[in-house]
Amino acid sequence: GVTLRPDVYGDRGLQIYYNVSDNRTWEGLVTTLRTFLTEYTPAAQRLNVNCTSDTYFIQDTFDGPNKTKLSCKFTSDMLQNCSGITDPTFGFPEGKPCFIIKMNRIIKFFPGNGTAPRVDCTYVGDESHLLEVDYYPVNGTFNLHYFPYYGKKAQPSYSNPLVAVKFLNITRNVELKIVCKIIGAGITFDNVHDPYEGKVEFKLKIED
Amino acid sequence: IQDDHKLSTSELEEKYGTSINKGLSSARAAEILARDGPNSLTPPKATPEIVKFLKQMVGGFSILLWIGAVFSWISFGIQLAQGAESPFDNLYLGVVLALVVILTGIFAYYQEAKSTNIMASFSKMIPQQALVIRDAEKKELPADQLVVGDIVEIKGGDRIPADIRLIFSQGCKVDNSSLTGESEPQSRSCDFTHENPLETRNIAFYSTTCVEGTATGIVINTGDRTVIGRIASLASGVGNEKTPIAIEIEHFVYLVAGVAISIGVLFFIISVSMRYKILDSIIFLIGIIVANVPEGLLATVTVSLSLTAKRMAKKNCLVKNLEAVETLGSTSIICSDKTGTLTQNRMTVAHLWFDNQIYSADTSEDQTTQPFDQSSPSWTALSKIVTLCNRAEFRPGQENLPIMKRVVVGDASETALLKFAEVILGDVMNIRARNKKVAEIPFNSTNKFQLSIHETDDSNDKRFLLVMKGAPERILERCSTIMINGKEEPLDSEKAEAFQTAYMELGGMGERVLGFCHLYLPENEFPDTYPFDTDSMNFPTSNLCFVGLLSMIDPPRSTVPDAVSKCRSAGIKVIMVTGDHPITAKAIAKSVGIISATSETVEDIAKRLNIPVEQVNRREATAAVVNGMELKDMSLQQLDEILCNHSEIVFARTSPQQKLIIVEGCQRQGAVVAVTGDGVNDSPALKKADIGIAMGIAGSDAAKNAADMVLLDDNFASIVTGVEEGRLIFDNLKKTIAYTLTKNIAELCPFLIYIIASIPMPIGTITILFIDLGTDIIPSVALAYEKAESDIMNRRPRNKRKDRLVNEQLAVYSYLQIGIMQSVGAFVTYFTVYAEQGFLPSTLLGVRVDWENNAINDFEDSYGQEWTKYQRMYLQWTGYTAFFVSITIQQVADLIIRKTRRNSIFQQGLFRNKVIWVGIFSQIGIALILTYGLGHVTALNFTPLRFQYWFVAVPFAILIWVYDEVRKLFIRRYPGSWWDKNMYY
Repeated sequence: GVTLRPDVYGDRGLQIYYNVSDNRTWEGLVTTLRTFLTEYTPAAQRLNVNCTSDTYFIQDTFDGPNKTKLSCKFTSDMLQNCSGITDPTFGFPEGKPCFIIKMNRIIKFFPGNGTAPRVDCTYVGDESHLLEVDYYPVNGTFNLHYFPYYGKKAQPSYSNPLVAVKFLNITRNVELKIVCKIIGAGITFDNVHDPYEGKVEFKLKIED
Repeated sequence: IQDDHKLSTSELEEKYGTSINKGLSSARAAEILARDGPNSLTPPKATPEIVKFLKQMVGGFSILLWIGAVFSWISFGIQLAQGAESPFDNLYLGVVLALVVILTGIFAYYQEAKSTNIMASFSKMIPQQALVIRDAEKKELPADQLVVGDIVEIKGGDRIPADIRLIFSQGCKVDNSSLTGESEPQSRSCDFTHENPLETRNIAFYSTTCVEGTATGIVINTGDRTVIGRIASLASGVGNEKTPIAIEIEHFVYLVAGVAISIGVLFFIISVSMRYKILDSIIFLIGIIVANVPEGLLATVTVSLSLTAKRMAKKNCLVKNLEAVETLGSTSIICSDKTGTLTQNRMTVAHLWFDNQIYSADTSEDQTTQPFDQSSPSWTALSKIVTLCNRAEFRPGQENLPIMKRVVVGDASETALLKFAEVILGDVMNIRARNKKVAEIPFNSTNKFQLSIHETDDSNDKRFLLVMKGAPERILERCSTIMINGKEEPLDSEKAEAFQTAYMELGGMGERVLGFCHLYLPENEFPDTYPFDTDSMNFPTSNLCFVGLLSMIDPPRSTVPDAVSKCRSAGIKVIMVTGDHPITAKAIAKSVGIISATSETVEDIAKRLNIPVEQVNRREATAAVVNGMELKDMSLQQLDEILCNHSEIVFARTSPQQKLIIVEGCQRQGAVVAVTGDGVNDSPALKKADIGIAMGIAGSDAAKNAADMVLLDDNFASIVTGVEEGRLIFDNLKKTIAYTLTKNIAELCPFLIYIIASIPMPIGTITILFIDLGTDIIPSVALAYEKAESDIMNRRPRNKRKDRLVNEQLAVYSYLQIGIMQSVGAFVTYFTVYAEQGFLPSTLLGVRVDWENNAINDFEDSYGQEWTKYQRMYLQWTGYTAFFVSITIQQVADLIIRKTRRNSIFQQGLFRNKVIWVGIFSQIGIALILTYGLGHVTALNFTPLRFQYWFVAVPFAILIWVYDEVRKLFIRRYPGSWWDKNMYY
């Protein structure tokens, strides 16, 4: 499963509507992101280790404290322009909002078959317009060293890796349908019944 | 009552304003027709078909299911208006529930429609055309145009078009069997012979048939005012009582509906007070109703009953009204006809008296020889008279048939004698040919004898042989000698005394006795050429030689005594109701065991003690023979007293109308009464009885229509087999219901726990329907094939008020013991599946709101994994499937334990009822198809389950079996104990 932050659900799934000139309409969204990222402050991540390898972090032994396994650090600064550090409003007032994409944890899941899975956001159905997106970290990849997940008991301090997307050319006053897929071997996004498997679809409308 | 039969022709003409020669004028006839209406029976106000159909749509559990369907649609509407994600689930559920109701309704309607309407055959009896004299001309008119006063002509083969008073008759005979059930044609003339219009000869009745001859008569009644019209309205006036099984099923429906509604309302209140949304509470309510209602059960009951009906049909009981199958089983009194039902309906030689000795003849249905001593020369002489002095003949072309089955032209006694002779002597026709008949005087009521004169086949003996038979006392009067051991001896007072004793004895057995005598005419007086003249009787008819007596009776069917004793041990009272003479009735009653060998009537006691009848203590007499004349003068209390105080009762000389009185009397005693009948005028009694049994062979259409059951072979013994089947089906229905009710708890608990503990929904409403109308159907029908546990004919008929189909013990044991075990088993499976998939039981409690939240797509489980909404739903469906599978697995055990209520399964035999195994395989097969075949159809909420989940409930299935074996063991070990009283259902 793939989830989106901020997550505002309407009657038919995720709907993010706001007005750039009315800060009451986007303050909530920004707060959601800020709250969500409190889990990713260096303080919150202090138990986790720095990982540099770009391969799966396979642990057959329990090397962590209290017979646990180690988890890799993911701090919000890795999201650069969408970290909320440089831009505390996540680009919302400018009409270039940041969204955070998160993959659901699945025990012993090795996504990508050796290649880091990445996020790819496009308009739904409308092929003529190209969606301009900045991905953070670069290329919008989930580094392989965050996988596999060994479970709550083995990795008590594990946090999901994130990818932030910043939409740069959103047409104002139009409801746009956007889908962010996760591209990688072993990740399917064609289950007709599940709108959140391997992808997240949402509607975005920015008014001014 | 009319007195038209007493009036003279001219009085009739005056009364009806008609003329015998000219008939009515067309104008006058039209006037009367306008006044009286057409000459046809008004059909009873039939309930319109649509009303009948709609009744089926709202009967039984249908109302509950309709409520469920309507609630589903309401919540669909609300959800649609709110724009919720999947409102169509509720729409579909509503449609499915409605379909269930409509389909079961159509099924029930179809079953009911098959039971034919009583009026159907009455209307079929109406003749099409009638020959009428109007305006002094003969005209063919449609019979429904006839009016009172019309002059009609009838001839052999016609159906009588209305009640008519005969004014002219030529050899006219009518078959009144459609009215009275008596098949003997009765002659009709213009003479007033009896006070009672029903008995007098000069009236012919509407719908009866003219067999031969011609007649002319005045129409005196038309349409509904005819005798048969009045009976028809009487029959339809007798209300159709509810059958015992209908009452039981109603009781059961109320019980289950009561449980469903109270639990539903209770949990509606609970869920509302737990701050669930009203809409959700309504959806819970639907689930609770669906879980509680055994949707398939009523159809199953119908199928089981019709299976039994089919089985009974094979045993010659044709059941018209399905519910009557069980009624027969609860019968406590059978009022049976004698002739044809208890007896073979044919005269048969039962005893012979010659050489001062009584011999018994074989009266069984398939006699081929006669065992009595035939060495005496007296027998040779007697057999010759029997053979020769007889006008009956076999229809030609039946040489290959057994003698007893051959068709004979001749009256009943002559037929009996002919067959008797044929059995002993062989080829009677040939013997008659060799002893050429030269003269004959047929039997008539003044002479009371029959006589013929023959040449003999002894070529050395040129004498003629005169043979005579007739009423014994008349024959004896004409005799001066008697043959003893082949020798003629003078008939002295001592020998006459012996004759009297024998005659009395045979008569006392209710038999029709005939005397036989002969005389060899001296050759010198009666040479070859002697002109015998039967009018002047120029030959001796006195001083003959008496040879012997033969007595005949309509003997009991050989299977009947056994059947009667079965009834006796089954606690069923058999009452004989017959139009016959009390002596004959009593003799037959004794020979079949309706009156047992040791019991006595008041009259018997009086005779034995030599005191007047009035002084006998009535309580001492166990048996009673009640004459129809006595019955007429009896008050209801007196009749009740007789029915109450005597265990063995014979009603003789009764009219069909009195049958109704007897039936009502028995019903006042609280008995379930079965009545047999064949005539049209038996139909009120047949309708009134709890179960009316019409005779298939002798019965009229009207009787068959009024009856609930038709006895194809007219044999009483078939009724007893029917009783046995009826009792068996009652037991088996109990088992079916117990089986069906058990799983309702396992279907209900999920909703209750879901509401209270807020766990993910363990089973879906649609899934429940798949159990109730899928896996459970064939197994519950299979229980109808279960053999009886013990001899069900050795216990008393069930008490209508006490022995309910669904009693407290059954409900408690099924719901609260096996049902709870099943629920535990199913929940263990449910929790196993969730735990294995990631959700330990503790995390499930209180999880409902988040679980069902569409906005949570990273729902964390016990292992830290995250689930989207759809993934959770899929897991929930897997839970449904697992729950469904474990209920199915445990229902297999439930099915096996329901095979018996008292005996061990191993006593009953696990494999004797093969259909049970069909049921088990169907159950598992359907479950396999649903999970693996239809597991990908999202709407059905089944998923291809991991194979190991099938076995989680197996230990519970075994537990159920062991638990029930222990229950049965204690019941058998400690009869009458607390355990027995509370654990036996």
